[in-house]
Amino acid sequence: MSRMTTNAPANSTVMSTETPTGASPLAVVSARGLTKRFGSFEAVAGIDFDVYEGECFGLLGPNGAGKSTTIRMICCLAALTAGSLTVLGEPAAPGQRTIKAQLGVVSQEDYLDPALTVRENIEIHGRFYGLSPEVATLRAAELLAFMQLEGKTHEQVRSLSGGMRRRLVIARALMGKPRLLVLDEPTTGLDPQARILVWRKLRELKAEGVTVLLTTHYMDEAQRLCDRLVIIDHGRILESGRPRELILRLVGAECLECPDIAPALVDGLMATLRPEDQAWHEWQSDSWVLFSPNLSSILDRWAAADLAPPLSYRRPTGLEDVFLRLTGRELRD
Amino acid sequence: MGGVRGMVWPRFTQGALMVFRRDFLSWVKYYKSSVLLNFGEPLTNLLALGFGLGAYVTKMSGDPFVDFIGPGLLAVTAMNAVTFDMSFEAYDRLNENGIYLSMITAPLHPAEIVGGEYLWEACRSLLYGLVFLVVLLPLGIVHSWWALLLPLPLLVTGMLFAGPALWVATAAKNHEQLFYYFTLVVTPMFMFSGVFFPLAHLPVVIRDLILLTPLVHVVNLTRALILGQFPPTLWQDVLWIVGYTLLFMALPGRRLARRLTD
Repeated sequence: MSRMTTNAPANSTVMSTETPTGASPLAVVSARGLTKRFGSFEAVAGIDFDVYEGECFGLLGPNGAGKSTTIRMICCLAALTAGSLTVLGEPAAPGQRTIKAQLGVVSQEDYLDPALTVRENIEIHGRFYGLSPEVATLRAAELLAFMQLEGKTHEQVRSLSGGMRRRLVIARALMGKPRLLVLDEPTTGLDPQARILVWRKLRELKAEGVTVLLTTHYMDEAQRLCDRLVIIDHGRILESGRPRELILRLVGAECLECPDIAPALVDGLMATLRPEDQAWHEWQSDSWVLFSPNLSSILDRWAAADLAPPLSYRRPTGLEDVFLRLTGRELRD
Repeated sequence: MGGVRGMVWPRFTQGALMVFRRDFLSWVKYYKSSVLLNFGEPLTNLLALGFGLGAYVTKMSGDPFVDFIGPGLLAVTAMNAVTFDMSFEAYDRLNENGIYLSMITAPLHPAEIVGGEYLWEACRSLLYGLVFLVVLLPLGIVHSWWALLLPLPLLVTGMLFAGPALWVATAAKNHEQLFYYFTLVVTPMFMFSGVFFPLAHLPVVIRDLILLTPLVHVVNLTRALILGQFPPTLWQDVLWIVGYTLLFMALPGRRLARRLTD
């Protein structure tokens, strides 16, 4: 895709490192130079980040960016190749029981035991965390109610819808009363209603003080849920910060989207742009999108020159624009 | 690249007990179909060979034919009950339904998963072996009170065959590769381990080769206990069984740990 002027709005806000509450930051996860190699392939290429107590932290990136590998190392399911990784005060490594006892893990696939009922599935998982039978039963009932699955308690898991399965997997991850809940693409494959319910539940958990770490490639999800996030690609961190701050810093607050515009007309419009506009533009499918902190003055100029595009609208920018700007538009598999 | 080095022996912990519990809960749901699967074949063999062929081959090394093959088939039933579960079922738990993957997100070590599977397979072997014993009773095949000791060798037999089958399940890339284990290992053992005919008349080389495999020793032991006939070499069978059980215990742990954590 053509990207002729690439001067980003450079009103860089310094990324704040304070916690959402403003209290002294207590890092629940702390990665320094975290690296994972599979043979000669570097899946995670030396990344640094901290996840603070009580926040919702997002790992964003296209497929194959290194999100899941990072998550696996945090969950003590994979060894790191180099660097350091501290989770809940302990060095993360496979078999780190003290870390795993305080973690809840929601993997990408809804792995449920097909032979067991809804309740049995999460009860037995609680027993893996060392809960007594009574506590496991009690907590299973609580969590099924919390995840709005109490009507399904005795059903076989194969009768559940995709959204219910995901909620059950989240309930299961909560059986050990985790301090840190880790979710790998929690809403991939869910319908909009199911996604909204999952989001609501994650916010409720956060309000209860659970630290939430999630990966996603849904930008709306990241924007709604995450206090802070890092965007990673090819195993490296491209940007990090709060969603709003990243948007303002990297693409500005607004953009102009022109659907179905003739490329010849675009050339004419481009010619009117000045260096101080700090404009950059890109094609998002059939729309030509112009980003600039000077949008109003550009539009005035076009109006004066009678150049205005036939169809256009100003819209607020979002993380999606940031993401596409940083990771490019080529398809990932 | 892996972080898993050295031997990973099964661990029989509280966590392992919970893995056992999951297997039991799951088995309760399926036992009707599963019992048929595991009994169909040996029972068919017993009836068809024991009474069909047995009408022509009346004696086998001094015993009625059906008395000879009954105890052997009991050993085979125990082996199959364990081998099916630890190959096809364990393959699915690892690769299809993610049961091991979700276990490993909890504070469980792969060695505890193996430990739990070992406990469960010991139980399965006992369960299926004893039910087969109940089938043998009305047929008049059980001749000795020594048969009351059968639970002990059955428990050990479960552990003996769990290790190699679980190792195969962790190494297999698809279901077809599991069939190789049956075709190349399990079925030949079944045919040549003295279940259907005594090994005494086989060429010495072949007999010695057979004695290097585990099933024949289990067959010798179950036959001794059920018929109440104790050959002077029986202690060797016991040693082989215990030795192989311990040796095979180290087989699946490391592979499973690698598959689950890297």
